[in-house]
Amino acid sequence: MPTASVSVAGRPATWRDGAWWRARAERVATLWRRSLRFRTVVITLVLTAVTIIVACVWMALAIQSDLFESRKTQALTDARRAVDSAQTTLDNAVVQDDPVQVQNLLTSIQGPLSQQSATDMTLAIRVDATPSQLAPPGFRSGGLTESMISAELRKHVRDDSSADKQWAQSIALPGSGDTVRPGIVVGQQIVVPDIGPYELYLAYDLDDAASTLSFVQATLWIVGSALVVLIGAIAWFTLRAVTIPIRDAADTSAQLAAGDLGVRLRVRGEDELATLGRSFNAMADSIQSQINQLAELSLVQQRFVSDVSHELRTPLTTIRLATDMLNDHREEFDPTTARAAELLHAQVERFEVLLTDLLEISRYDAGSVQLELEPTSLARLAEDVIASMQQLAEQHGSDVRLVAPGGYSPVDMDPRRIRRIVRNLLGNAIEHGEGKPIVVTVDSNQQAVAIAVRDYGLGMTEADAERVFDRFWRADPSRKRTIGGTGLGLSIAQGDATLHRGTLAVWSQPGRGSNFVLTLPRGPHPVEAGSPLPTDPGEQSADDLGLTQPIAVHGDAGEMGETGGAQ
Amino acid sequence: MTSRILVVDDDTALAEMIGIVLRTEGFETFFCADGAAAVQEWRAHRPDLILLDLMLPGMDGIEICTRIRAESGVPIIMLTARADTADVVRGLESGADDYIVKPFNPKELVARIRTRLRPGSQPESEMLRIGDLTVDVAAHEVRRGDTAIALTPLEFELLVALASKPQQVFSREMLLEQVWGYHYKADTRLVNVHVQRLRAKVELDPDNPKIVTTVRGVGYRAGAVV
Repeated sequence: MPTASVSVAGRPATWRDGAWWRARAERVATLWRRSLRFRTVVITLVLTAVTIIVACVWMALAIQSDLFESRKTQALTDARRAVDSAQTTLDNAVVQDDPVQVQNLLTSIQGPLSQQSATDMTLAIRVDATPSQLAPPGFRSGGLTESMISAELRKHVRDDSSADKQWAQSIALPGSGDTVRPGIVVGQQIVVPDIGPYELYLAYDLDDAASTLSFVQATLWIVGSALVVLIGAIAWFTLRAVTIPIRDAADTSAQLAAGDLGVRLRVRGEDELATLGRSFNAMADSIQSQINQLAELSLVQQRFVSDVSHELRTPLTTIRLATDMLNDHREEFDPTTARAAELLHAQVERFEVLLTDLLEISRYDAGSVQLELEPTSLARLAEDVIASMQQLAEQHGSDVRLVAPGGYSPVDMDPRRIRRIVRNLLGNAIEHGEGKPIVVTVDSNQQAVAIAVRDYGLGMTEADAERVFDRFWRADPSRKRTIGGTGLGLSIAQGDATLHRGTLAVWSQPGRGSNFVLTLPRGPHPVEAGSPLPTDPGEQSADDLGLTQPIAVHGDAGEMGETGGAQ
Repeated sequence: MTSRILVVDDDTALAEMIGIVLRTEGFETFFCADGAAAVQEWRAHRPDLILLDLMLPGMDGIEICTRIRAESGVPIIMLTARADTADVVRGLESGADDYIVKPFNPKELVARIRTRLRPGSQPESEMLRIGDLTVDVAAHEVRRGDTAIALTPLEFELLVALASKPQQVFSREMLLEQVWGYHYKADTRLVNVHVQRLRAKVELDPDNPKIVTTVRGVGYRAGAVV
């Protein structure tokens, strides 16, 4: 039972619990929301049930009133015939103010009344209530009593003296025990010669009609309920024919969306569902062909880039060899030619770097870069890079320091690419560091290793910092460039970081310098918990470093010694 | 003695320029622009070193490399416009000793050529032992028992480098410096591929190497003398 989870104290939930009902209601609500078939069937059932109930009630009422009317007519006719016959008997009788004779006369009509009519329940009451020696008060038979006749009916019968007028009303007749049977009572006047009118009531038992009615009604309800169930079942099965293909279409669409471009719907017949299937398949065909075309285009582009690479590089090699040669011999030229050779040499080099960077970027775009993973110590790598760039840093008057509390254990990475990133970051720091110290920090945690390169130079505004990874973007176009760069370096660095599933983040403030943090995951999964090094370095400034004092290095002494060597 | 170099490149301008550079450095050069004729040219001239372009009409550089390697251990340096994994590794696997990515500068080219022509400093002892092999350094010969194993000069140098310091673990960078003459970080695939080629020749079971053993995460070292 799905409600077991909400039951209290391990007791299985039952219908007595509110939770059970809530769970049930939730399930139904879910079904209502998610199943077209369920919803349609419920709606069909409710509407059919209402219709059938209305129809049944109407039919039951119609049959009931029709049955009553016919029995009433029958009763009236029957009563009229009997009363007419009795009246004839009375009219022909001669009573000479003899109470006994009058009594006998009344008694004598009582038998024929019962015989002539279809009922033995008769009641006669004298209209004139004044007691008379001569007139008997009436008679009764078959259990019909005065109290059973409503005052209203009696009033009508009493007030209308015309002998033809009949009144009828339905009454409850006492049945066996406490039960009550339906009946109809017909009232009219009968005139006893010399004595005056009597109210004469004949009650008819409608029990047989009532049982006919209840049988008809029961049949109606049974048929109605059966119809509702049947229609529900029909709706269920009919909808199956519609919802199953729709479900198929939904599943197939999901498969297509998940990348399985080969899936198609089965198309049968020519109905709307077949049209849906055909349209879907046409759409899938179109998507597949377009994706294939795009993939082909991408392949063509990759091949083109590769070809361009080859085609451009061969002449560039010749140019390079030639300019190097010219440059080597420039002392033998006149000053103008020598300068020209020098410029040519420098620009060919720049062109070469640009071409290399562009091809690298186009490889990222084509997704054709493969990492050469090797277990590498990021701290050692940072030492190497700092050592190799020491000369450049000295030229700019920058003191590059390494702080490496962690990051010594090897982590799988492509060392060439990571070295390129670190060189790039350090190169930027030296160029923009204004001769102030540069701090390279390496640290690690369980998920990742990270390296931060901090300079205390000019820094950038937030808007500029957001754009540093854009291709060919320069923070300040007017700023003098001392270290060559193509404007692609940070784009490539970020591309490399992304290939490693790592991140390259930047913090920068005008006047406070910049901090670039490269974070690499230890495993194949991207780092989620955050970098071991914060991107925002806080309030620390170059002055806080205490230029004459060594930087605090955490970690063991052996590592410290090697760290110090790189400073 | 003037070293003789065969330049196989279909780009005549580049071939000529390389020729100019090499002649300035005192090398003797031959040219071949057609891949199909390259092996023939090599047989005709028997140069000391081959500069081989990877993309050639007629027959591609990798095929030429394979054919020449089948006959000789002559140093081959590939010229390639692509540093992409597949091309370079295929070239190295087919037997090229080293590769230079276009565009290169003259000093780099000459340095690479000189490294391949002038084997590194020879160790003092003439006979070295590594695993179950005997290395005769002076005679450039490797033997397992009485059987001589033919190695290219590069493979021989790699083996000698390892065998001469049997206690030392060589990182890929150290080997690149000692055997290939790279004084800066270079492509470690060079080492990986050539260690595989060397193992294929000297190991009894290349999948379970006993001569050149791998030290995981660091590099390689010589196997224990048996």
